[in-house]
Amino acid sequence: MRIKTTREQRILYIKTVARWVMYYIIILASFVIMTSGTWLKPVLLVPAALCVSLGSGQYSSAVTGAVCGFLTDIACGRLFGYNAVLLTFFCVISSLLFELYLRRKFINYFLITAAVSFIQCGLDYKFYYQMWKYEHVSRIFSRYTLRIWIYTMISSVFVYILYKITDRFLMPKTHLTIEEAIKTN
Amino acid sequence: MREFLKSTKFKVLLAFLAFLVGVMIFAVTKGGYSLSGASVINTLTAPFRSASNGISMKMEHTLDKIKRADDIYDENQRLKAQIGELNKQLTDYDALKAECDELRKFVSIKEGHEDYILSQPCKVLSYIANDPFRSFTINKGSAEGIEPYCPVVTAEGLIGITIEVSEHVTTVRTILSPDLSVAVQCSSSGADKGIVEGNILSAESGNTKLTHLSTNNHLREGDLMITTGSSGLFPKDYAVGTVKDIQIDSNGLSSCAEIEPCIDITRLTSVIVITDFSGKREESDED
Repeated sequence: MRIKTTREQRILYIKTVARWVMYYIIILASFVIMTSGTWLKPVLLVPAALCVSLGSGQYSSAVTGAVCGFLTDIACGRLFGYNAVLLTFFCVISSLLFELYLRRKFINYFLITAAVSFIQCGLDYKFYYQMWKYEHVSRIFSRYTLRIWIYTMISSVFVYILYKITDRFLMPKTHLTIEEAIKTN
Repeated sequence: MREFLKSTKFKVLLAFLAFLVGVMIFAVTKGGYSLSGASVINTLTAPFRSASNGISMKMEHTLDKIKRADDIYDENQRLKAQIGELNKQLTDYDALKAECDELRKFVSIKEGHEDYILSQPCKVLSYIANDPFRSFTINKGSAEGIEPYCPVVTAEGLIGITIEVSEHVTTVRTILSPDLSVAVQCSSSGADKGIVEGNILSAESGNTKLTHLSTNNHLREGDLMITTGSSGLFPKDYAVGTVKDIQIDSNGLSSCAEIEPCIDITRLTSVIVITDFSGKREESDED
């Protein structure tokens, strides 16, 4: 392993802090968008949490999942902690999948987001509408749940781009480039 | 010179001058009206004068612009700033006027119902994301004396009930929700009682549903439904909405009707919470 100089360590530290600040700014922006207006909106915090878990360890993924979950609960008026539990669980699983089995490619992220978002929307429908046997409850699924899921899928592309841009500038490099290796030797 | 003075030319000119003086004196006697000759001249020359005046004005204007470019620029900037200031004042005025109108409406609630204890006007913070029944949050909470299960109203009518109260934010469940039932009666007859309870289909169009209505009801489209106050959750005689469409219920034993709330619940900006009223059910009453 390459020994880092004090200056490199300082840059690494600043970049890491800036990266996490940017992550949470995106999360906050997602929350603000979710709580504004009266139209149907994507649950932006789900792809946002999964994006973070894509390149982070399990602890940080869990914390981010919990934060995003709590914010989702507030925005959607759900039992405080319900979505936090769900997202923490899925973020840790996602983080593990990316660490052990999957490459950090867009298509993998997109499929995982599709699955998690569908489960989240489906459980929301199950626990908040279907379970209470409201009249014409299936309309909620077709007119709300499915549409929200599709919107979430579409919006996940933009969330991914934002995170990729952040990572491009602020993610510490894990490998040496050829030039760096030559210089070091 | 002497020759000129003696010449016919001089005499003719003198006569002409005398004529002009005569014309002048005649013109004085006309009392402000122009002579017919002058009038003809004016009429004939008017288009030419207008055209020439236009050209000269344009030229003067262009020259003036070039000459006074700096002054005009400064004046333009000053006027722009003035317009900006006036627009800002206009916006403030509009906001104040809207606020004043809103407060006036809320005062009218108090005037009509002296037993009500009202909260301060509450701003709608945001609608709950993706909620088909349009629940929303307001910017007042327990610190302002709001408790769970207080009626939420506007001057026009009932909106819903507070369900979750934190210190400065309260969540409101609307009458579009199937989880909220309000006992109502027709305001004109005092009869035709039923239960207003939200419904998924009705909520899609911003309406709610009146159920458990007798099949022998005398309701007509446009009838105003008001609260009965029997539950102790809502004050008596508060407007809920108007009847839109009356049908026989799917069970065939009772009628139901589509109710259009008195105010568009999907576009609320501010509401008021009735924290106390005569006939309110206390928690001890429940026990």
